[in-house]
Amino acid sequence: MSAALLKSKHAPLWIGALVLLLLPAAMNVLGQTTSTAAFLVTLTIAAMGLNLLVGYTGLVSFGHGAWFGIGAYAAALSQRHWFPDQILLPILLAMLFVALAAALVGVLMLRRRGVYFALMTLALAALTYTISFRWTEVTGGEDGLGNLQRGNLGPLDLDNQLAYYTVVAVIGFLVLYALHRVARSPFGHVLVAIRENEQRATFQGYPVDRYKLAAFVLSASVTALAGALTGFQHYIVSAETTSIIFSGELLAMVVIGGMRHILGPAIGVAFYILFREMLSIWTVHWLFWFGIVFVSFVIYSPNGLVGIWERLRRHWYKAPSEAAAMSNRKLYDNLALPAFLRPDPVAGPVLQVEGVSKHFGGIRAVEQAGLEVSAGEIHALIGPNGAGKTTLFNLVSGMFAPNKGTIRLWGEEIQALSPDAICRRGLARSFQITNLFQDLTIRENLRLSLQAKHESRFNPWRDADGDPEINAETDALIRYLGLDGIQQTKGGDLSYGGQRLVDLGIALASKPGMLLLDEPLAGLAAAERERVSNLIENVSKEIPVLIVEHDIDRVLAFSQQVTVMNQGTVLMSGGPEAVRTDSRVQEIYTGTGTPVVSGRKTDAAGTAARVLTIDKVNTFYGKSHILNDVGLDVNEGEVVALLGRNGAGKSTMLKTLAGLVPAASGSVVFGGRELVGMPAYQAARLGIGYVPQGRGLFAGMTVAENLELGRLARGASGERGVVWTEEQIFDFFPVLKDRLDTPADYLSGGEQQMLAVARALSGDVRLLLLDEPFEGLAPTVIQDLFTVFDQLRLSLPVVIVEHNLDLVLALADRVFVLDRGAVIHTGPAKALLDDLEYRKEILWL
Amino acid sequence: MQLVFLLEQLVNGLVLGGYYLLIALGLSLIFSVGGVVNLSHGAFYALGAYVSVEIAKYVGFAPAVAISPVLVGLLGVLFERFILKRFYTADPILGLLVTFGLAMVGEETIRIIWGAAPQPASMPELLKGPVILGNFLFSKYRLLLLAVVALVLVGIWFLLNKTAFGRVVRAGIQDPDMVAALGIRLQPYMTTIVVLGVGMAALGGALFAPIAVVHPAMGAEIITVAFVVVIIGGLGSFWGVVAAALLVGVVRGITIHFVPAAGEASMYVLMFLVLMFRPRGLLGERMEKFE
Repeated sequence: MSAALLKSKHAPLWIGALVLLLLPAAMNVLGQTTSTAAFLVTLTIAAMGLNLLVGYTGLVSFGHGAWFGIGAYAAALSQRHWFPDQILLPILLAMLFVALAAALVGVLMLRRRGVYFALMTLALAALTYTISFRWTEVTGGEDGLGNLQRGNLGPLDLDNQLAYYTVVAVIGFLVLYALHRVARSPFGHVLVAIRENEQRATFQGYPVDRYKLAAFVLSASVTALAGALTGFQHYIVSAETTSIIFSGELLAMVVIGGMRHILGPAIGVAFYILFREMLSIWTVHWLFWFGIVFVSFVIYSPNGLVGIWERLRRHWYKAPSEAAAMSNRKLYDNLALPAFLRPDPVAGPVLQVEGVSKHFGGIRAVEQAGLEVSAGEIHALIGPNGAGKTTLFNLVSGMFAPNKGTIRLWGEEIQALSPDAICRRGLARSFQITNLFQDLTIRENLRLSLQAKHESRFNPWRDADGDPEINAETDALIRYLGLDGIQQTKGGDLSYGGQRLVDLGIALASKPGMLLLDEPLAGLAAAERERVSNLIENVSKEIPVLIVEHDIDRVLAFSQQVTVMNQGTVLMSGGPEAVRTDSRVQEIYTGTGTPVVSGRKTDAAGTAARVLTIDKVNTFYGKSHILNDVGLDVNEGEVVALLGRNGAGKSTMLKTLAGLVPAASGSVVFGGRELVGMPAYQAARLGIGYVPQGRGLFAGMTVAENLELGRLARGASGERGVVWTEEQIFDFFPVLKDRLDTPADYLSGGEQQMLAVARALSGDVRLLLLDEPFEGLAPTVIQDLFTVFDQLRLSLPVVIVEHNLDLVLALADRVFVLDRGAVIHTGPAKALLDDLEYRKEILWL
Repeated sequence: MQLVFLLEQLVNGLVLGGYYLLIALGLSLIFSVGGVVNLSHGAFYALGAYVSVEIAKYVGFAPAVAISPVLVGLLGVLFERFILKRFYTADPILGLLVTFGLAMVGEETIRIIWGAAPQPASMPELLKGPVILGNFLFSKYRLLLLAVVALVLVGIWFLLNKTAFGRVVRAGIQDPDMVAALGIRLQPYMTTIVVLGVGMAALGGALFAPIAVVHPAMGAEIITVAFVVVIIGGLGSFWGVVAAALLVGVVRGITIHFVPAAGEASMYVLMFLVLMFRPRGLLGERMEKFE
């Protein structure tokens, strides 16, 4: 076979045909019968059917034996009662029956995903088994249904093994051909998208439930076909075919072969049959060894034999690294928005949000919010962390339905629609936390969005990559976005900035008439920020854009309208200049310059010995570079504040110190010990006390129990650091004394914060980390906590992250300002506290 | 007469439910702390039965029932340390697959050691026969079983809710990072819970050996029932699992009385009915990872 054939997209078909042709001879060479060869092909059909669900759609079924068995019984019964001596009609009828049954069962079971779905399929197999074993009148019970006839097919006497093999092989090839086409079709591509990221597929406008049900039905029918063939092969159907053991073995074959490849199941089945036949010569306990092989595959190579082969191949031919890929990138300047992305021109309001509220439990995330976006404008939505901006996006795009209020798109109410319906009406969004198909190429990420707007999106038969219109559109979009040359790179292999751009591209590719962008510029390098914001400006001339962005300079520069949110409500809407000069807006960003608390009473203790030295620390979440060569130091007796915008890396810095997020490189020296590489519990025992954002209390446990957990594993001697005894806790926070037996989740916010601090301080602490300790608290509580933190400086150093600048600057001795993971300013807090102009220069406008 | 009959069925159902409970509760516990649905749980149950039958030949019934869970629990240490641990943070589906493979290995191991034929198991003479309470006739052994299950249940509840150990475990389920930030190393607690879970399964096997058939596939048979119980009760919910085990036991007991062949099918029907109205089970909570 020539190399060209092997590389062609239809290679699996050629390979399949060749193997089917040679299989009986090959099996005979290995000492196996033609009948075993037929069984191998039959099992392969079943495994390929299962793999459509497991490998392509990502739904793991532990119960496909049920469909296999029901198919076998249905074929046997229809031959017995309606079509004696026939084989094809009973098989077709069995497939039809299973398709119907699977559609009914699927509607119920597909309400759940993941583990729950897997467990339900397990129960389905068990139910089928008990029915086929017990319902003797219909299924023959323990004896099964015997005396099946293979009959004749034209001139072929199917009782001849080779003739039967030929029929099975032809059917097997047809199944391979059909599944090959389905996998390559628009429908098949959507199944993969669902496996990779169901949520994003929904927001691309795909009604994923319908796709999942169709895949479930198709998968069950194909497996039923195999079941029917097995019945005729053995002339008998028994309950064993529906057993959970068989279901599990079928799944094991798929996993061992490799579920990410169309021929993977075939390899797995061949492995299983040969393993069984060869090993059972030596031992009756071949299943023991098979189990061990299976376990090893799950642990060491979840993608099976195909996965091992691919790893080897990658080892031999080094894949181009991302850096190399980026260097191939071609940028084109000043491209116009491709024509197919231009919606019909409209004037006036496009998106109108009125009086929208959303509550989660007792939290009012958005309260009576409203805004209006008109054609041709960029409308910026700004506000501090927790203002409700992203929640508002989620309400508009259909992720949640609002509790109150109306949302209109071109005058029509959309607040009750699902995300896919809203997307099909012409509203697309990007996500704040990058949300793309990590394992698919950039090109496929974008192509999927374009395909969703095309009438072929449900087509299970035509070649998805062969649609000239979608291909041309994808090419144009890739050029427009500046992703040309790297389009074959996988989404997950891109840098964070690259992923942000693809995320934006996915939204744009939905051909929207209204575009919602959630922090599209975050994490981009300077030149790239410039390019992407020009691109957004360019887009907005045709498609109105609602944008959330923390780069306020830039956002005020290019937007026509600005809405400012704070604590769930809309503070104001207006032009950029009006917003820039509004004192209330400045207040929520940089503070008033007047602390709401009475000032500090203590000062840094004299010794100033170095407690903590951080040098060139780098931290990643996946591919996202969160901390970039951060250097920082903390001395005895001082409060150090970490400042910076949302997403600058402040919380990650604290988590890195606490050992909860591993640093990829750099050094953190604390009390003479290196913390990088140390597990969190050891760092805690060395004296790092951590109070996380949101307090991290254990719900359902009382105050006393929470405090007990704080003392349990850390030293209580106080030799090295601070240990608050119960008396000291009550000294500082008298209110906790009356609450000792109250569950932590029933406490007020202030009491919870006090408890979190007291818990952190109840075991040998030498450095206290506070993440947003004043968040959501009433002024009097803030005053109390402020006083306590102020006094704490006398006994141990504190590192604090806090967005209320007036407060934190009044408390801190020194500040470190972070921006995009790097320290951009270090200095005394005093200067920033007193000089508002200086503060703005460093921290905002 | 009707009342007597109903009460008898109720007690039989409760015994059956208690039996499921020993298996399902361990399954649910391991799931709660590690996030792994342990499909090999049935193998530990079967092993518990076999080991107790084996050592009963030397030390007698009662000591064997006590020793077997300890031995199987020790095996649980290896299981947690070398296999399960790798899957706490992995895709839960991989945990399902790997434990399924282990179940296969476990069942074959039993066949290799003890053969495929059922093992005879007996109980002491003392426990045979019925006990008469008022108008009712109950099997002594079954009442004893019910008492042991109740004791274990109370013990586990006490351990989880009234001891420092239990508080660390519950805190670890909620927020493992915060527990670590308080200097607590969770690993030994995880091991202990896994040992407790498989130990309970082994105890179930040992206790039921005399009234069930001890054969290699007994683990595969019980595991689906245990899952049905856990799904009905809600993954990770203590009281949900307790309620579901008893419910399944009673429903199955009563069905067997009227339509013997439909006994097993009844609990699956119950499961699908519950799921139709409460997709996360009776008392289950939403956990993003398992959706």
